[in-house]
Amino acid sequence: MRYLSWIVILSTLTVANAAFAEVITLTDPKGDDKGPGTYEYPTDGVYRPGSFDLTKVTFESSGDDTIIEVEIAAKIEDPWDSSAWGGNGFSLQFVQIYLDTNKATGSGHAETLPGLNARFSSESAWEKVVLISPQGKNRLQSEVNAKAKALKDDVVIPRKTSVKGRTLRAVVSNADLGSAVAKGWGYQVVMQSNEGFPDKSDLLTRKVNEYAGPHRFGGGSDWECDPHIIDMVAGGASGNPDETKAQADALKYTCDKGGDVGKSTLATLPMVYR
Amino acid sequence: MFSTLPKWRTTREALEAEFRSSYQSDSSVMLNYRTGKTSRWMVAVAIGIFVVAIVSYVGPKFAYADIANIDLGASIYTKWLYRNNDSQGVLNLGNPFWPDNISGDNGVGSEFELRITGRLSQYVEAGARIQSRFGSLWQDWWENGDIGYDEHNTSGESLGMNHAQYMKLRGYYVRFAPPIPTIQWITVGASDLSMFNPWTIGKVRYIDRDNAKGTFVEGAVGDAREFSYNLAVIALPKLWVGPSWSTGIGDPTLVNPFYANDWAYGAKFQVNPDSWGRFELVGTVTNDLEIDTADPDAQGTIYPTCEDDLGNEVPGCQDNKNGAVGTFTRYLNAVLTLEAQLDPAEIVTINLLGGLSMQQLDPQLATNGVANSGGVFPVPFADIGFFDKSYAGRVRVELLDPFEVGLGMKFEYFNIGENWVSMFGARREADVLLTEGFLGGGQLPTLNLANEFVDFDEQWYESIVGWHGGTAIFDFEYNTFGISAEYTFITYNTNGQNRDVDFTYPTFLHSEGFTDIDVYDYANTLDRGRDPRSVYRRHQDRASHIAVVNADYVIDAGRGIEVGAKFKMIADTDKRSEDEESGDGIISGTTDDDYSGLLLHGKVSVAYPFTDELRIGVSAELDRWSEQNRDGLLLTDGDGNVTGANYGDTDTDKEKVSATIRYDFEGVHLNYLFEYIHKFQNRELKPDQNFHIVQGKATVEVSW
Repeated sequence: MRYLSWIVILSTLTVANAAFAEVITLTDPKGDDKGPGTYEYPTDGVYRPGSFDLTKVTFESSGDDTIIEVEIAAKIEDPWDSSAWGGNGFSLQFVQIYLDTNKATGSGHAETLPGLNARFSSESAWEKVVLISPQGKNRLQSEVNAKAKALKDDVVIPRKTSVKGRTLRAVVSNADLGSAVAKGWGYQVVMQSNEGFPDKSDLLTRKVNEYAGPHRFGGGSDWECDPHIIDMVAGGASGNPDETKAQADALKYTCDKGGDVGKSTLATLPMVYR
Repeated sequence: MFSTLPKWRTTREALEAEFRSSYQSDSSVMLNYRTGKTSRWMVAVAIGIFVVAIVSYVGPKFAYADIANIDLGASIYTKWLYRNNDSQGVLNLGNPFWPDNISGDNGVGSEFELRITGRLSQYVEAGARIQSRFGSLWQDWWENGDIGYDEHNTSGESLGMNHAQYMKLRGYYVRFAPPIPTIQWITVGASDLSMFNPWTIGKVRYIDRDNAKGTFVEGAVGDAREFSYNLAVIALPKLWVGPSWSTGIGDPTLVNPFYANDWAYGAKFQVNPDSWGRFELVGTVTNDLEIDTADPDAQGTIYPTCEDDLGNEVPGCQDNKNGAVGTFTRYLNAVLTLEAQLDPAEIVTINLLGGLSMQQLDPQLATNGVANSGGVFPVPFADIGFFDKSYAGRVRVELLDPFEVGLGMKFEYFNIGENWVSMFGARREADVLLTEGFLGGGQLPTLNLANEFVDFDEQWYESIVGWHGGTAIFDFEYNTFGISAEYTFITYNTNGQNRDVDFTYPTFLHSEGFTDIDVYDYANTLDRGRDPRSVYRRHQDRASHIAVVNADYVIDAGRGIEVGAKFKMIADTDKRSEDEESGDGIISGTTDDDYSGLLLHGKVSVAYPFTDELRIGVSAELDRWSEQNRDGLLLTDGDGNVTGANYGDTDTDKEKVSATIRYDFEGVHLNYLFEYIHKFQNRELKPDQNFHIVQGKATVEVSW
């Protein structure tokens, strides 16, 4: 009888769960956590293989909120004990989700948040960006206020961020997004790494260098021209292996030999429309 | 945007990564890049013009001058600590063994830190950190030390350097990536030792983050680092990795402690065959050497002339007179762990860990602290073999929302042998078990814990040597509501009768009763209960049950009201002395000493972010502890036979309210914690105790 009651409860929860309206799903192939194809993880042991390998993202309406779940290939660990610094139960990952809510050319922002070294085309400019970070709300908000002042009104910090197994979970208020997720929106999910001691202009992002270091990604450039993006959704975001190439193409960049970013070509990120 | 230098020359990230990135303290993290006071702009412009002119003139000759290769980072940290008592200092719990010049409950002090890194190329990097000595109070005008004059003196100065806030070199390293197959980096100098694990050589605590020095090699094979390795030779800290927390310093058995050749050796090999699993083998050895005082070449040798006290020639001594000094091992500890992380399916992860340990301890070179220091000693005073109940095992299975309703499950089995010994394991700031444990902090597999040099708001760590049991945790999330429930059962491999706690197994003096981390003192003058390191008792038959429920919810009002609730229950029993069969027959025990403790703890909290920068929280906690036969004496006859017991009950009531304020603004971080604690201890055998504690801690931190 005890077991029966458990089954009833779980079934009820499952049915209730399935009853939610819209679920947007983006999938990404495994093993493409190499940015434009050349990036390597930092060499320190905490950066386990698969830790930045995006595999699936879902957006699900739930009342006045949207539940965003970001799944990666490896179990998410907390090697730097985030509870000790007011964090959210994980340490390494930092996900930025850019949303094009109106698909209108010229509307929104073409530049990314500082530290990514990438941009969007004016056709795919974003209106909102959701930050899924291990940092507590205060820290995150103060970083945004200090380093992305012009964009801060369009930066959404989840009401709650948590982790379970391989999945990061964020509860975002629909009011903060402007509305519930709707058909026709564009999505770009960028996987970065949380850097608690970032460069002065970077918004909690970890850099990519030419040569990997204990706490730096490698395979990029020592100048500020390479995209600091380890994984992202590309192509049709259906998990097709071809999307690895689409990602590499999207993250192509060129560096001026003298380090002049103005003469370099930054990567242009695509949106995936659903 | 124009960048004149590559990013490894223009950021301080590399330096921070080395010194701090594996400690994500949420303070001292923002950059303050305000440009200075506008009233000085003309001076700044003039200086700028002058510099540009000079650079334009000689620029090509030093385009990459030394200064361009240096990144600087700095922090100022200030702490206020106040409590309604009369002790002075800026650290609640300092050194447990002898008085230090920092600890005390009332004071305000600051420290300054400077971090310097340079990159010669992408293959070579060097760095150093210097920091002022902490402990001086703001009131200490003109203070340059704490050694006072023998006679009355009104100068306000003292004779030492301890409070002089002098800058001290804390850490330094050189790292390079030579073109040697498989080697990625070689590091010479400081490290936080995070490359191993808490069971073997643990990451050192934050305040010691660059005190460890050694030579470290890391390498890998394969595009995806399918095989990687770390090798290390580490200088043994002379003041804690060894018997009596030293490698010989202060040990009365040694006339000339020789610590310059004491090293730890570590190797880690990791295989990542695919995303479904990872295997990690770690082996470490710590070796504390002392000189052979019978060697005629040794400094302070007992045979300088190769003759004994009676003038007789010492056999073989002359042959040893060769200019070389022999050594003996005072203490050796070897630990081996094999860990497998398996991800066989989307909804399951499995972690397996097994370990073996051993130690060799020379009783002629190490004082028996179990016998001579009242049982305060960081390891059993005995040789322990690899298969002498010195194992450790842990199996962890996690089900990741198998029903897709937000319900996760974690199960863990743990079994740590009674003789598991890890002298260089993690001392704090790590946690190897899922359970919240008795203290709500971390559980670590060593007796060499460090619940010292801490303030009242910091986590506590308890030893799990001898723990055998299991944990089940269920957690559920729905929107912004989350709840988790834990049940843990522990029995103890240290259970047994007539354990030798006089010469072999350390008890840390105080082994009875629930530990009160709110009203703690090292000497136990406040009756704070069991020492978190006390895992051995003369007579023990103990079992424990821990149940915890945590819930949190963000109410959708305004900026989101964060509420939380917690309930915890511990039921702990110990039959202590029991009848035991031996070769001489049955040794009688008694039921008069049977312990039964019930701890109930509840907490509610609410917090609200009033602005982007300001967050205020309040909480209330209630504790009701009922302990039968908490402490007392076992009565024995002249032959050591148990004849009865005189144990008394204790009931403890405790209430705590606290408030937190956090303010983050443009790189300045302010934190404030206020607590009021009332505790009443109703003791059967001793006078009752009543505590009213009002305490606060505030910090301001800025980095640039």
